[in-house]
Amino acid sequence: MNHPEPSFNRTSTLMTRKIVRAMTEATGLLRAPIRVVPLFSKLSSDGLHATLAARHLYSYADTTVPTGDALRSVMGWIFDAQRPDGGIAAYYSLLTGYSESYPEVTGYIIPTWYDFGRGTNETAARPAAENATQWLLALQMPTGAFPGGLAVRDDDPQPSVFNSGQILQGLVRAYTESKQAEILERAVAVGDWLAAIQQADGSWTGPAAYQGNAHTYYSMVSWALAQLAEESKDARHAGAADRNIDWVLTHVQPSGWIEGINLRGHRTYLHFIAYVIQGMLECGILRRREDAIQSAAKSAWVLLRKFETHKRLLGTYEAGFKGGEHFACLTGNAQMSCVWLRLFEVTGDPRYLNAAMKMNELLKQALPVKGRRGVRGGVAGSYPIWGAYQPMRFISWGCKFMADALMLEQRLAREFEASECA
Amino acid sequence: MRVAILCSSPYSETGCAVAARLAQVGYVPVGALTLPSWDRRTLLRKVGQWGMRDSLRYAVGKLAPGKSASTAAVRNPSLEKALRHKEGTFRNLREVARSFGFPVVTCGDQNSAGAIAQLKRWSPDVVIFTGGNILRDELLKVPRLGVLNSHLALLPEIRGMSSPEWSLLRGVPLGITIHFMDSGIDTGPILLRREFAGFDECNSLTDLRNQMIAEGVESIAEAVAGLDRGTLSAVSQVDQEKDSQFFVMHDALKSVAERRLKLCRVNPVAGWRDE
Repeated sequence: MNHPEPSFNRTSTLMTRKIVRAMTEATGLLRAPIRVVPLFSKLSSDGLHATLAARHLYSYADTTVPTGDALRSVMGWIFDAQRPDGGIAAYYSLLTGYSESYPEVTGYIIPTWYDFGRGTNETAARPAAENATQWLLALQMPTGAFPGGLAVRDDDPQPSVFNSGQILQGLVRAYTESKQAEILERAVAVGDWLAAIQQADGSWTGPAAYQGNAHTYYSMVSWALAQLAEESKDARHAGAADRNIDWVLTHVQPSGWIEGINLRGHRTYLHFIAYVIQGMLECGILRRREDAIQSAAKSAWVLLRKFETHKRLLGTYEAGFKGGEHFACLTGNAQMSCVWLRLFEVTGDPRYLNAAMKMNELLKQALPVKGRRGVRGGVAGSYPIWGAYQPMRFISWGCKFMADALMLEQRLAREFEASECA
Repeated sequence: MRVAILCSSPYSETGCAVAARLAQVGYVPVGALTLPSWDRRTLLRKVGQWGMRDSLRYAVGKLAPGKSASTAAVRNPSLEKALRHKEGTFRNLREVARSFGFPVVTCGDQNSAGAIAQLKRWSPDVVIFTGGNILRDELLKVPRLGVLNSHLALLPEIRGMSSPEWSLLRGVPLGITIHFMDSGIDTGPILLRREFAGFDECNSLTDLRNQMIAEGVESIAEAVAGLDRGTLSAVSQVDQEKDSQFFVMHDALKSVAERRLKLCRVNPVAGWRDE
């Protein structure tokens, strides 16, 4: 899960973590007072834009920023966020600057880099992905698992199911690009570990699961396992992916809502909801599971209708998609754009493409096109930036999903137009 | 047959054309209820629908009609026939009302108590909706037979917004449906449904819309006459479970739809290919 703090399962309580974080953030500004300029600039521009947006004064039905330009800006942010160790910073805070490298996000940014390199002939993308891969391999634990949290000096790293799954996505892609046997061996070790500790019902619980509980957003782990199975041809990996998706599907409600996100002390951010849907859809596509694709489409359609009707998605939702908090979780928005685009690819229904193009317009309009390193091209946790999800931060996983959404849009719009001309 | 009209503005050409056309075929409206032309709420509604840039474009077009519609005296040249009278062309609803002798009442909200009371005083058999607010149940229940809407696509295949464009993109024949409104989005019983054959004269989506609107005006007149004579009756929509609602189309997809329109002109069968 994208909460770049040390694993929860150890000594620190939720409240202590929150207090420590707030104090660290506040003192960050004292250490670097120059940050007050971008901070107030962002606060004022978001304040104005949000006031107008609340009155529906923006249209997202036409292109205001070319998709290619926005993609270069977002990828520029990701390149800037790569630390000397090869990992990607979790975020750039307007108060404290860049964070430490974050293994989980570094892992699943690897496919984004390769896609960007392919699509644009950007020569820096491949070396960046290779550096990230090498850094991640050095973090792998003897069991095959990867640790949770940020890459801080830690004498007692704790394995994390979710982070291992997310990193697995990167390793599988690194292998398909490089064909290095060692990378596949390491990826298989992750898959073996995930399959070994999976519960009989298909969920993951216990010390390596966040807060010790089972979560439906671990469908993202199933997706990674399904990707691995394509390369390893190992039935254990495919079986583990299928079992988890079976378990997730038991949580899908008639309303399209998916129970079992199950995070104590966190609101149900759109980011988590989108994770469940995205994992279910992508795993469904790879495993040719029509039931998973249909369930993902059902939930995605509920959110599509909400977006088309209200020109926005809420930052959080309550059970049954009934209400929530009125800020935008931009990462969740970008993930939903990816989901809609993939559903367009699977179903051919252009309403998904239409919604995704409008969502991408919304995201592009919220993207800072100028500013200092760390701000320019960054996707904020929340819009306005003081919203509840990762406030005052530009987050690397938001950039990753937005870049994915823009690249998917470019590809599918091109294919759609080409099919029309054929 | 007592007919009342709901308009989005006294300057709504569609509203004027419907009122004039109905009067020409013998159904002089008992009254027309219109939203104001340029009050704050109308402006915000337009901006909310279209965004700031498109609203500005619309306002400029409205203030300088000569630029947008070449030599035509009206913005939608296809409505010119319906709007023409002995001395020239109807420019607004009040001119139509003066000519045919029916009252025009302005309201801030078509669902307001005042607007509903006014409609009840007119006691219409049927109300024609030509634009404005999303209508609430209380208003929908006022006319004896119901509120009629002209939808620019075949129902139930294409409901909602950007309907001609979606018809093109989905490979559904272009068409017009006159239906009674209910609380759903274009889900009410259908009175008249016909394919639109005039696409071969359309050079652009704007042309297509203009011509379909004009065809819709004619269809409304035909539907009212049919209701009056008892030759038409409404049929409930089947396929209610299927979600065929469509939403405002992104400009990039509109370009694709426009290319399809041109393809349809050359080869209609190829144009209606299914997705």
